[in-house]
Amino acid sequence: MSYIPTIDRSACSAHGDCVDIAPEVFELGDTAEVIGSGPDKKILKAAKACPASAIEVVDSETGEVVYP
Amino acid sequence: MRHRKSKGVEMKEQGVVIVGGGLASQRCAETLRRRGYDGRIRLVCGEPERPYDRPPLSKDHLAGELSDDDVAFRPAGWYEDNDVELILGRQAARLDAKRRRVELDDGSELFYDDLVIATGAGARRLPPLEGYTNVHYLRTLADARRLREELREGARLAVVGAGFIGQEVASTARAAGAEVTIVEALPAPLTGVLGKEVGLWLMKMHDEEGVEVRLGTKLDGARGNGAVEELALSKGDPLACDAVVVGIGVAPAAGWLKGSGLETDGVLTDHAGRTSLPGVWAAGDVARSFDHRHGEHRRTEHWDAAARQGMAVARAIAGEEPDPHPLPSFWSDQYGLRIQYVGHAEGADEVTVEGRPSERDFAVVYTQEEQPVGALVVGRPKDFARLRKEIEHTYTQRTNGKEHK
Repeated sequence: MSYIPTIDRSACSAHGDCVDIAPEVFELGDTAEVIGSGPDKKILKAAKACPASAIEVVDSETGEVVYP
Repeated sequence: MRHRKSKGVEMKEQGVVIVGGGLASQRCAETLRRRGYDGRIRLVCGEPERPYDRPPLSKDHLAGELSDDDVAFRPAGWYEDNDVELILGRQAARLDAKRRRVELDDGSELFYDDLVIATGAGARRLPPLEGYTNVHYLRTLADARRLREELREGARLAVVGAGFIGQEVASTARAAGAEVTIVEALPAPLTGVLGKEVGLWLMKMHDEEGVEVRLGTKLDGARGNGAVEELALSKGDPLACDAVVVGIGVAPAAGWLKGSGLETDGVLTDHAGRTSLPGVWAAGDVARSFDHRHGEHRRTEHWDAAARQGMAVARAIAGEEPDPHPLPSFWSDQYGLRIQYVGHAEGADEVTVEGRPSERDFAVVYTQEEQPVGALVVGRPKDFARLRKEIEHTYTQRTNGKEHK
């Protein structure tokens, strides 16, 4: 649980793929929003699914950008 | 029921009528409720289904991996919970803007305070293929269900038109074990926007995946008794097939607006979706929205545009000033590969390729006066996010430059 996602709101069109994959982490408003944390694997899967590549994932332990 | 007083007479509020059952309509209804709009909302769907998402129709849904319920935007109960009245299986037939009234194809009429036109677009049809039972167009859930039946192991599928719909169907059909031939009239597909190199690269990918690709080849006609057995082509041998899919583009579904005062070749709107008629808005494929980057009205058939325009209309009805549109953007999934596009490649004077196209890992950057204006990215999400920012920067600079002059 060390991955932290952030959403580029100008790029997000609220496709909702991230919410389908990790509803405990993401929620849909005008754009997707981060509402909580979840398993790293799920967060990474959600970020990869985003058709707009609007989710950036950082490993909070290392500070490294894991995705994209 | 909500009421308002008008000249001392109690009048029933008509609220918002949204015509069309696609993404723009759904976004509009959702955004109105999220903004606290508490008037009546009626959503008229031309098909007998509640609003659903179209991109999976050529991908996961066509492959049988997603069900009809999976592609619906919301569970059936959402509409009742949010007080959105669904009118299913009805199409708009006429607009009488003077009386703020829409007539439906069953003769019923709906009065509105605000009307949102989001009737989308319909597939362009090929007259020589009319009347055959195994010719398919892919636009609706019903189309997808029908086409799915044809994608069997060993079935011979002819795809007419090498646009993204045709390409995605080819990819899905290959995965199902079908023998696929793509027939395209142009020497390379999608050249108008993406350029010849990208069109040819895409065709090479299909070739590598076992699709027979026939470029520069026009359809001359069809032969068969009830079902097409063979397509006659302008070049090469006739093409024997079990089924045909046609993907040669779409036209705005705006014929019903004839005589209304609005344009029937794409309804002109400002950035918020306002048309020239009071209380009438348009969003999605049917709209030609004002593009502030180029100073002209443009119709955009992208998923993103429909989503943003539907939301913009809702915000404007709720009294907000919507943001200017973001850059056009689309994506396509084929053979497990993601292709992403952003910007305005059509205005480029130079095209450069970064990476390794032969390994399906590259970015095509479209530049104009040495500034990036568009990008197509294959298998490189990191580059996509970066290039989008660079392209946005190009246009921000240009817009600011204009303001200072």
